[in-house]
Amino acid sequence: MSPRSESKFVAIVDDDDSVRDTLQGLLKSVGFPSQVFDSAEQFLGSGHHRETACLITDIRMPGMSGLELQARLNAEHCKIPTIFITAHGDEEMRFQALRAGAVEFLPKPFDDEILVESVRAALDR
Amino acid sequence: MNHPEKTKGAASSARSTALRYGLALASVAAALGLASAFVHFHLPQTFGVFALTAIAVTFWYAGTGPGILAALLSSVVRDFLFDPQTSTESRLLFDLVFLVFALLMTRVVRGRKELEQRVAERTAELTRLNDNLKREIAEHNRVEAELRLSEAYLAEAQRLSHTGSWAWSPPPGDIRYWSEECYRVQGFDPKGGQPRYEVFFQTIHPDDQARITEVIERAVREKKEFTFDYRIVHSSGEIRDAQSVGHPVLGPSGDLVEYVGTIIDVTERRQAEKERERLREAQADLAHASRMTTMGELTASLAHEVNQPIAAAVTGASTCVRWLTRDNPDIVEAREAALGVVRNGKRAADIINRIRSLSRKGDSRRQPVYINEVILEIIALLQSEAKRYSISIRTDLAEDLPKVMADSLQVQQVMMNLIMNGIDAMKDVDQPREISIRSQSAEDQQLTISVSDTGVGLPPQQADKIFDAFFTTKPHGIGLGLRISRTIIESHGGRLWATQNSPRGASFYFTLPTTLASAE
Repeated sequence: MSPRSESKFVAIVDDDDSVRDTLQGLLKSVGFPSQVFDSAEQFLGSGHHRETACLITDIRMPGMSGLELQARLNAEHCKIPTIFITAHGDEEMRFQALRAGAVEFLPKPFDDEILVESVRAALDR
Repeated sequence: MNHPEKTKGAASSARSTALRYGLALASVAAALGLASAFVHFHLPQTFGVFALTAIAVTFWYAGTGPGILAALLSSVVRDFLFDPQTSTESRLLFDLVFLVFALLMTRVVRGRKELEQRVAERTAELTRLNDNLKREIAEHNRVEAELRLSEAYLAEAQRLSHTGSWAWSPPPGDIRYWSEECYRVQGFDPKGGQPRYEVFFQTIHPDDQARITEVIERAVREKKEFTFDYRIVHSSGEIRDAQSVGHPVLGPSGDLVEYVGTIIDVTERRQAEKERERLREAQADLAHASRMTTMGELTASLAHEVNQPIAAAVTGASTCVRWLTRDNPDIVEAREAALGVVRNGKRAADIINRIRSLSRKGDSRRQPVYINEVILEIIALLQSEAKRYSISIRTDLAEDLPKVMADSLQVQQVMMNLIMNGIDAMKDVDQPREISIRSQSAEDQQLTISVSDTGVGLPPQQADKIFDAFFTTKPHGIGLGLRISRTIIESHGGRLWATQNSPRGASFYFTLPTTLASAE
């Protein structure tokens, strides 16, 4: 892990607690610090988003969606490398996310290697 | 001041006394007249005879006092008018005769009075007995009329309910009583008289005879009740369904005296039951078809719902491998990750079971269920669908609710229809999207469950039509969901209705009777 990644953390936003917890466990196993949030609103309200080195977010959630969260961050000029994970993914959604600046778009269940490498790449930016 | 009634009574008594004593005077005067007439016509002097007659008449009709007066007057008249010259001895002898006669007559009058008293008492007794007898006859007639009326009512009731009654002595006895309706049900002519047991048995369908013989023989052997269904073959060839119940009557020593029981023609009831069963099956088929249609619409969400725990399990398994393949394997972390895999695997299995259970085409099975559990089960399945449209589902479920007697699959179908309608109503709404589900106790041992949304609300001017079959506001709807839901709820003894919310949205309510209400 680079020195840059040690001062910041990975934010995981997903309304499904089992997905959230297992993602946090995965990142822990590779030594990435992380924080979990059960909604986009909770993440934005936490005030930590400026310390976030990488954002892993679900797309479809009650309330604000992952894409809307990305749009909000972009509007606030908060450029966080974002990895989308979704069980509802389709090509149009993938295209939309990548065009808005997403670094990865992973359908569930995803390959842990790809996710870990994507996070590592985001942290190394 | 004297009372008028008393005055009148006293006057009447005085008049009676005067008449009685007047009779003494009149009878002695009559005797005197007759005796004088005899003397005038040179006939024998017979005053004594006439006097005795006068005394007797007076005693008989006027009583003792006037009779004694008549005797005294007769003695004076005889002494001074007919035999003034007679000796004192002779006069005393006559007076003695009158006195003895008067005493005899006193005795006779008393005897007569006693006799009259006894006759009066006997007459009163007879009158009383006669009155009692009349009353008893009237009571008997009344009871007989009531009995006839009661029998008529009973016969009418038996005719209306197709229920005949009978009494039968166990073998080798015979039928002792056979009501009018029994003749009709069993297809006998009442003119043919009370049927013999063998004749009755011959009208039973041949395929049922052996079974019935066995049932009856066992009941007789054990002195127990019996009940059996059978078919009657009428002489016209018509076959009727019947049911017979027999109750043993035991003597003081426990010996079997007879059986009393009923025969009920259940043909129409059986046909109605078959019709109801066919209707139930048709409704179940329709409900299943509707459920499958909805499930089809939910495919994407259900796949997502299953995908979530699978994704978590896959990630957990990868994490576990990572912990184990490190230079220094961390068993504690690996174990934690592996337990997560187990949890998520079970969760995926639970979801699949829920989907399978909603897809099954099972028989309607009602059992006591907690409505909140039914609600939470269906919410678990529809959560993804709601999430897909950024809709949150909020619950307000009352605690400690009594169970309801319900088919949980059918109630889940109703909940699924209502929640899906709510989701549909909010898909295109920009305002906050929320479905509120509430359960609470209501009056009359009912529970009320409501599903409210913040969607477009009920169709204007057509709110009352939403429960009609084939009425729909959805582009691809078939308009059966709410109709089926209402049929399901009503078949459970509840109600389903809808109201418009202010400022927007709609609420659907349904009630279900609790097991306490079902038990009554």
